[in-house]
Amino acid sequence: MPIPSLRITALAAAALLAGCATVDIDQAVGQTNETAAGFTQGRLELSRTAQQQERRERLAQQLLAEPLGQAEAVQLALANSPALQALVAQGWSDLATAAQGGRIANPVFSFERVRSGSELEIGRLLSFGLLDLLTLPQRASLARNQSAQAQLQLTRDVVDQVSQMRQAWVRAVAAQQQLDYAGQVNRSAQASAELARRMQAAGNFSKLQRARQQAFHADATAQLATAQHAATAAREELVRRLGLSDAQAAQLRLPDRLPELPAQPRTPAEVSAAAVDQRLDVRMARLQLDAAGRSQGLDLLTALVDTEVGIRRDTQFDNADGSRRTARGWEADIRLPLFDWGGARRAAMDAQSLAAAHRHDDTVRAASSQLREGYSAYRTAWDRARHYRDEIVPLRKTISEENVLRYNGMLIGVFELLADHREQVGAVVAAIDAQQAFWLADAALSASLIGQPLAAAPATPLRSAATGEAAAH
Amino acid sequence: MNSRRHFLTGAGAITGAVAAASVSRVAMAALPEPVIQDQPDTAPPLAPPNGRPYDPVVTLNGWTLPWRMNAGVKEFHLVAEPVVREMAPGFKAHLWGYNGQSPGPTIEVVEGDRVRIFVTNKLPEHTTIHWHGQRLPNGMDGVVGLTQKPIPPGKTFVYEFTARRPGTFMYHPHADEMVQMAMGMMGFWVTHPKGRHPLIEPVDRDFVFLMSSFDIEPGSYTPKVMTMLDFNLFTFNSRIFPGIASMNVRKGDRVRIRAGNLTMTNHPLHLHGHEFTVTGTDGGPTPPAARWPEVTTDVAVGQMRQLEFVADEEGDWAFHCHKSHHTMNAMGHGVPTMIGVDHRKVVKEITDLIPDYMVMGERGMSDMAEMEMPLPDNTAPMMAGQGPFGSLEMGGMFTVLKVRREQPPGDYRNPDWYKHPAGTVAWEFTGSLPASPRAPAAGNGAAPPHRPAGKQDVEVRVRKPGAANPHGGHDH
Repeated sequence: MPIPSLRITALAAAALLAGCATVDIDQAVGQTNETAAGFTQGRLELSRTAQQQERRERLAQQLLAEPLGQAEAVQLALANSPALQALVAQGWSDLATAAQGGRIANPVFSFERVRSGSELEIGRLLSFGLLDLLTLPQRASLARNQSAQAQLQLTRDVVDQVSQMRQAWVRAVAAQQQLDYAGQVNRSAQASAELARRMQAAGNFSKLQRARQQAFHADATAQLATAQHAATAAREELVRRLGLSDAQAAQLRLPDRLPELPAQPRTPAEVSAAAVDQRLDVRMARLQLDAAGRSQGLDLLTALVDTEVGIRRDTQFDNADGSRRTARGWEADIRLPLFDWGGARRAAMDAQSLAAAHRHDDTVRAASSQLREGYSAYRTAWDRARHYRDEIVPLRKTISEENVLRYNGMLIGVFELLADHREQVGAVVAAIDAQQAFWLADAALSASLIGQPLAAAPATPLRSAATGEAAAH
Repeated sequence: MNSRRHFLTGAGAITGAVAAASVSRVAMAALPEPVIQDQPDTAPPLAPPNGRPYDPVVTLNGWTLPWRMNAGVKEFHLVAEPVVREMAPGFKAHLWGYNGQSPGPTIEVVEGDRVRIFVTNKLPEHTTIHWHGQRLPNGMDGVVGLTQKPIPPGKTFVYEFTARRPGTFMYHPHADEMVQMAMGMMGFWVTHPKGRHPLIEPVDRDFVFLMSSFDIEPGSYTPKVMTMLDFNLFTFNSRIFPGIASMNVRKGDRVRIRAGNLTMTNHPLHLHGHEFTVTGTDGGPTPPAARWPEVTTDVAVGQMRQLEFVADEEGDWAFHCHKSHHTMNAMGHGVPTMIGVDHRKVVKEITDLIPDYMVMGERGMSDMAEMEMPLPDNTAPMMAGQGPFGSLEMGGMFTVLKVRREQPPGDYRNPDWYKHPAGTVAWEFTGSLPASPRAPAAGNGAAPPHRPAGKQDVEVRVRKPGAANPHGGHDH
């Protein structure tokens, strides 16, 4: 039962961080919503109260009442998915941890009570990490950097989840469409097989001729079973991505078909590398680079120059004479850099900074390249899907119509007509594949644009389309 | 409209073809103006305006080529060219032919005529003409490479010889002839006897046609020239029924039908209601002792036959090739036989998938002729033609001999359908049926059939309409 446990996690995280007034998770989620507006439509929130919980459930019910479109699927995932809630809660925890680094350590109070014969000595020492105090501005800035990283990471995780959910939605709808067509092929093959059986019974077909038609049907039945499972698997993948309960899963209805292709594909200008700076992965690399540079001196300092100051007040009681003395003073600890002058450590830090710098460069360069590849995959998928829609499917339709005319003229027989129908269905199936590939590429490109690349959708056909035979039989 | 009236007047504006850029105008100026025909209708007989007199023939869905007399020589001008031939109303073929049509015009001359034929080639490839059956100088025989050079595109060649032998002939190319004949290049030739011939009787009606076959994919226009045997259109003069004209005669007319076979198979021509004799071949008139009465005569490949009879029975009499596939138009020979197969339920399934589907063939193929369903473009139905009693269920090499008491002599107009005198049409019997005798069991009298051990008799189920289960009793 994931929900209660996640709820506990969330509550635990909340309890842990309750004292921390400066980490406002709602504000952080708001920022994520703003950064990933194309994905969240501003609707992500961490649900902590009963009202919030109730609101989420109500929204989920509303969304499930209608066939679930792609945009609605995103809303539903945001409102309903425990995985996303867990993600946000985890993000909160990370933010809090990051903020922790920017605080002064609490002063240490030590208390000694030493008895020696009739003497009792009570020592009190209140000590501060002097370096802590001195480096506070630097550490605060580092903590801000780390908070920003945690914030970005949260956004990236949300984008990733939503994108994968979108792709799961595309696959689920397409698989259902494919199932419908596999059903059509099967029915056509079944009609052939039944007619062939009657032909043999009437003495017009040999056993061989009948067996051929029967074989088509047997094949088509196997393919229908495969399509059936594929549809179930794709739907269940979506159910998991949406985080639906069993009851909700039973309610889930999907549209009959994938959305139409957009009239125009996105232009290369929309997807230009100018936006590279704003990508999440680039911003993350830059933050990491900054952090590496900023923490360099600080880490070395704290490692080599550990200093503490304390105020001491010792009281001695002498039970023998009933007298007492009080001593006051201060003390300072300092680590002596006798054996380690920090050379090795400095080298390691330099190396880390360098690595961060190169990682940053690498990310920036890879970002442009990924965009180009993602756009190519997107554009190719759009072109292919349109080609199927505007060329191949209409041609197949023409062939079908012409074959009916030839059947009318007794130029071909009903078995040829049915075989042709199966071929036409094969072309439609390939067209749906192409449309699915487009919507997968579209989701991948959207993710890539914001800087959380998914594996690009395959630009190659999933099956041979032009001939159709392979798909038809 | 037939434009032969332009011929002697030299009026010029003759259908398009004259202006072909590929033929020199200067060269053409010296030639008889070619006469172009733009209609596939049967033209009335062309009475000879000059030269020796003769009784002209009527070319079924064709015409006779006018000539010019030039110093006692009959000059004809044939133009070999691409043509569009209407093979039946609504179905046109892109063929090659002569002077606007395929087949080309019939050439009629008289025994002993000096004949000069100008042949202008407007085809994209070279050609020649072979004068099938003629006695002529070897160099006029028209075999490319053997007796002459090919006629290149754009050039005009002259053939000149004396029509020595009266009879029934044809002309066709003898250069790339497989392609050119598959494309429809052929024509009829009649040499009339000079005066009275002991073996050639005068007739009242003299019809001529050539048989040709084409392979035209339904929905396309151009014949497949590589086809050897698997033709799908069998024609009289490149027309298919119901596009073929009827042969309209007056009762009591002596009728001659001359037919030539330029297809790749023989055609048993069959006439209803009369007997005829074969009075001639392309070898000449047959001696009377060699003639016997027939109702069907087989015309082999490359042969001509001349049938004669007295049309003394009134009515609409079928005349057709007796190969039943040849009285069909394009059809699918691979279509399975559906007779006796119950389509119920399956039909529902199929029409769900293919909404325009209709059941055909369950009871035979006459459904095809009855239902007028959309066909591919430019495709004649497999069988068609409406008669006074409904569909004729025919195509291809089928026409009607119409014998009428009131048909005026020399008038070739189509009288309407025959009005049958009362009581002369087969009628439906409505009385009670006597028990019909059945054939005795197999093996009666003759040697008993051999029956291999262990083999069971195959049960033969004969399906008859009207039984309780019309579909032969197999269970579903």
